[in-house]
Amino acid sequence: MQLIDKLTVLADAAKYDVSCASSGAPKRSSKGKSGLGATNGMGICHSFTPDGRCVALLKILLTNFCLYDCQYCVNRRSSDVPRARFTPVEVVTLTLDFYRRNCISGLFLSSGIIRSADYTMEQLIRVAKLLREEHQFRGYIHLKTIPDADPLLIPEAGRYADRLSVNIELPTESSLIRLAPEKQVGTIKQAMHSIHQGESEARAEKGAPRFAPAGQSTQMIVGADDTDDSTILHTAQSLYGAYRLRRVYYSAFSPIPHSPKTVPFEAPPLLREHRLYQADFLLRGYGFQAGELLSGPGNLALDIDPKLAWALANREHFPVDLNRAEPSLIARVPGIGVLSAKRLVALRRHKRIRFEDVSRLRCALEKAKPFIVTQDYRPLQAGNESQVLRQQLSETPAQMVLW
Amino acid sequence: MVSARFDGSFAGWRQAARELLQQGVTADQVTWYSHDGDTDLFAAGTPCATPHLATTAIRVPRQLLNLLESAARYRCADRWSLLYRVLWRVSHGDRSAMLAGDADGSELHKRLKAVRREAHHLHAFLRFQPCHVENGPDFVAWHEPAHDILHSASGHFAERMGQHSWLIATPQDGVYWDGQRLQHQQHCPQEWQQLAQAPGDEGQQLWLAYYGSTFNPARLNRSVLENNMPVRFWKNLPEGPLIPQLMSQARAGAQRDGQAQAVAQRSGKIIRYRNDSEQTPSGSVGPGLPR
Repeated sequence: MQLIDKLTVLADAAKYDVSCASSGAPKRSSKGKSGLGATNGMGICHSFTPDGRCVALLKILLTNFCLYDCQYCVNRRSSDVPRARFTPVEVVTLTLDFYRRNCISGLFLSSGIIRSADYTMEQLIRVAKLLREEHQFRGYIHLKTIPDADPLLIPEAGRYADRLSVNIELPTESSLIRLAPEKQVGTIKQAMHSIHQGESEARAEKGAPRFAPAGQSTQMIVGADDTDDSTILHTAQSLYGAYRLRRVYYSAFSPIPHSPKTVPFEAPPLLREHRLYQADFLLRGYGFQAGELLSGPGNLALDIDPKLAWALANREHFPVDLNRAEPSLIARVPGIGVLSAKRLVALRRHKRIRFEDVSRLRCALEKAKPFIVTQDYRPLQAGNESQVLRQQLSETPAQMVLW
Repeated sequence: MVSARFDGSFAGWRQAARELLQQGVTADQVTWYSHDGDTDLFAAGTPCATPHLATTAIRVPRQLLNLLESAARYRCADRWSLLYRVLWRVSHGDRSAMLAGDADGSELHKRLKAVRREAHHLHAFLRFQPCHVENGPDFVAWHEPAHDILHSASGHFAERMGQHSWLIATPQDGVYWDGQRLQHQQHCPQEWQQLAQAPGDEGQQLWLAYYGSTFNPARLNRSVLENNMPVRFWKNLPEGPLIPQLMSQARAGAQRDGQAQAVAQRSGKIIRYRNDSEQTPSGSVGPGLPR
């Protein structure tokens, strides 16, 4: 099989993993040195595909042969897909060529399980080692860890990779048992724990060899089973807490060819995925707890974003006086982000905040209006009931009924 | 009114602005005329206000100069007058002119953001290709930035490219990295432009194959694509012509699953699951795994 054919098959097989970040790596440079590559902490999206997702890394599988039979996965052993396998040298050549052309910032390598979990993991590490040691590649490397592999392989992977990840795939153990019979929550969490431990040790000891400095991430598939958003967000929150994950990615289940009957055959719930990302952002960046966003079982609202939903359900905190309130409470106002909150606080040291100032900061004023007080503005009481506001601010206004 | 003429560079503007400030010329009294490198520096003379030298030094925060220098890279008709207005206000004690919530500050920060974004676009959407001309650089690229960010932002590629030499040409200016130093030409030489606009090489085919396969047709989302990768860059990206093609294929097929057509057309292979012997992965599988 030609290299270009392998690339076609193995990129197609890898695209269901939605992780794409190339951020968080320490500063490295090859200026004037042999070898290639740099990282500066910031991720760079080098292209965007027509599905709106970014291309930051060359994301491929080493092979899509797989012994596992995960029902949601296009590469499961019972799937009738064309199979291919790269040699490690082929992956290295492609990575370096695309990197020189400035098409990518690095490599994201994953693999189907071949021969054994240990063997597969060793092959992934071999590619990273070739890049780092033989080619002195200083770009970004993200390796997908094989959860059943020997934990002793993890320190080696962490030495070459900027980021490691283990996909939990499904938010509950029962779903995993049903849809991914060869995978076990226990080994997945064990792998996450080993990575977390490696990170902590490297941080604690000065001059210790580097270990996955951009941390670890994971992915949950949304919509392949009947788990609700509340369970998903609480699982994410506990992963953030237990293993210091940098990111949880949410991948709307994408129906696959010759789909087994155990998984749905429906258009992917993209809006649901979007709301989960918004909620996840509130967990990581705004100090929200999962229980504040969804106190009981159920899903996030689709017609309004989770911050607005929280504000409408917690009217006792509002309206917020922008001239007095704590920055963290200002950042909880719908339509005002963390950056704008900081800018408002900086500005109010010089002058009283007026409505016009908020508008100049390009906040989403329509959303913010009912929730803020400024020097010259106070929301009207009448017509400000949560129910009315929700109708006004909904992104999918209900169709009027025609009689 | 005062006509302030300078060479079009930030350093030139700064010099002229300092003199005007010392003469107490307010922002609404100045009209700025810039001439770039080719024309005679200050040929049309100095500001016509009566020179009156201030004895006190002008004091502004160091940070302000950095902001003004960055904002000066923003291409627009009143590029320099806003900078002078902000400088005037801050030097007279009104520091809110630097803040995003202020009337002038908000315009300043809008420009700073656009300039930062355009530098990021250079880092993201520039494509090098190997150059096979004798004594030429190893790699060349053609890029069309909307603001004057090439010189300040292209050091990024020296960090990435190791000992390779490279050249970036734009319709306005150009940079050449010989492996040690960055050379900036205010007017991009003709031969640089020709080198950089050479037609795409064979090697791009691999990239196009990757780009086509990593797209999930079941998730078509044109508006997100266009927000993140403005259409004006498409014509200089190798994958640009592929975008409309991929979109119409996805729509025509009204695809419900994510697999690329090129992959779906091939014959597939189910992996037989056997518990017994050790096997190689080339067409068969290894020992069974514990359930």
